[in-house]
Amino acid sequence: SGELYCSLPNPRNVHFESVNMKNVLHWSAPEGAGDGVLYKVKYSVYGVGKWIRKPECRNINRTWCDLSSETSDYEEQYYASVKAFLNGMCSDWMETTRFNPLTDTKIDPPMVSVSSTEKSISIILTAPEKWKRSPEGESISLLQVYPGLQYNVSVLNKKTKKRWFFSISNNTLVVPWLEPGTAYCVSAQIYVTTPLLHSGFSKEHCIATLKDK
Amino acid sequence: LCRISMSMTEIRSGFSAIKANIQARDPIRTLSILSYPHSLHKVKSSDRCCITHQLFNFYVDKVFKHCKTEDSYVNRKISSIANSFLSVKRKLRQCHEQNKCMCGQEPTEKFKQILANYEGLNVTSAAIKSLGELDILLDWMEKS
Repeated sequence: SGELYCSLPNPRNVHFESVNMKNVLHWSAPEGAGDGVLYKVKYSVYGVGKWIRKPECRNINRTWCDLSSETSDYEEQYYASVKAFLNGMCSDWMETTRFNPLTDTKIDPPMVSVSSTEKSISIILTAPEKWKRSPEGESISLLQVYPGLQYNVSVLNKKTKKRWFFSISNNTLVVPWLEPGTAYCVSAQIYVTTPLLHSGFSKEHCIATLKDK
Repeated sequence: LCRISMSMTEIRSGFSAIKANIQARDPIRTLSILSYPHSLHKVKSSDRCCITHQLFNFYVDKVFKHCKTEDSYVNRKISSIANSFLSVKRKLRQCHEQNKCMCGQEPTEKFKQILANYEGLNVTSAAIKSLGELDILLDWMEKS
């Protein structure tokens, strides 16, 4: 069928929002379009000739579309595009910038677990997993994706308010020579030097060292 | 074995600063200089040094000099990246001269394809597209 005459204002700010390589396309409705606007989405692999329609995001009224499955190969780069429809009118296709899942994703903080003795606390950190299609799917830690991944760890003495920072490459840390019977709070962040990526700090995990016997 | 130190973080941050600007100047979605028809990730590990050496020569000799823009900030970032590439290029040449970075037929064919992709466009478009694909090269180099 012939292309409709496209005079509808365009969707705006078409972009990928990516966390742990869960890659979701977002956009804003056309200016002043009101209710009833529908959208369709297509995507392409950079360097490959064709655009591919996303059936699950055809004639949708929401302003996002999960393209994680289609963009899961992080050795490739992608474009995505959105078109709006309303009352027989349509907009132009509006494209993202080139999306590189490896460098353009955000990373969640690590999981932190702590245990204590009288004078030390032990910290175990777990990097988040890369997005996967289904819970049964193969788990890939972001540690495998980013070989240079490191952890920044903050340890706070709740009594003295003294804070230490550690930067470690492996995922365990023992902090010795602490005061017995004292509460310490631990928070950690992931840091990748290249490509340059870092998570926020995790929420604090507090634990008390055992009392002196 | 050819071991080279390079300021990957510096190159990365320089490229990140101009990536959107440079890629926006490349309207051709359907062709990649480095990835067509096969991704760099298909290169065997034994051929990595050869391809890296040829690509650094390629970027220094054919790409950066044709990437002049009207934006002085972008130009400064490009020349900073070019300087980093120049020093790595020299180190790779030393490796090559010490027979540590030899090229077999496969990597030579792969690089010929990259040159053919490049020469299939006019010089400025080819150079800008190649520059816009720098993260493809860096991602591949950093992959363990």
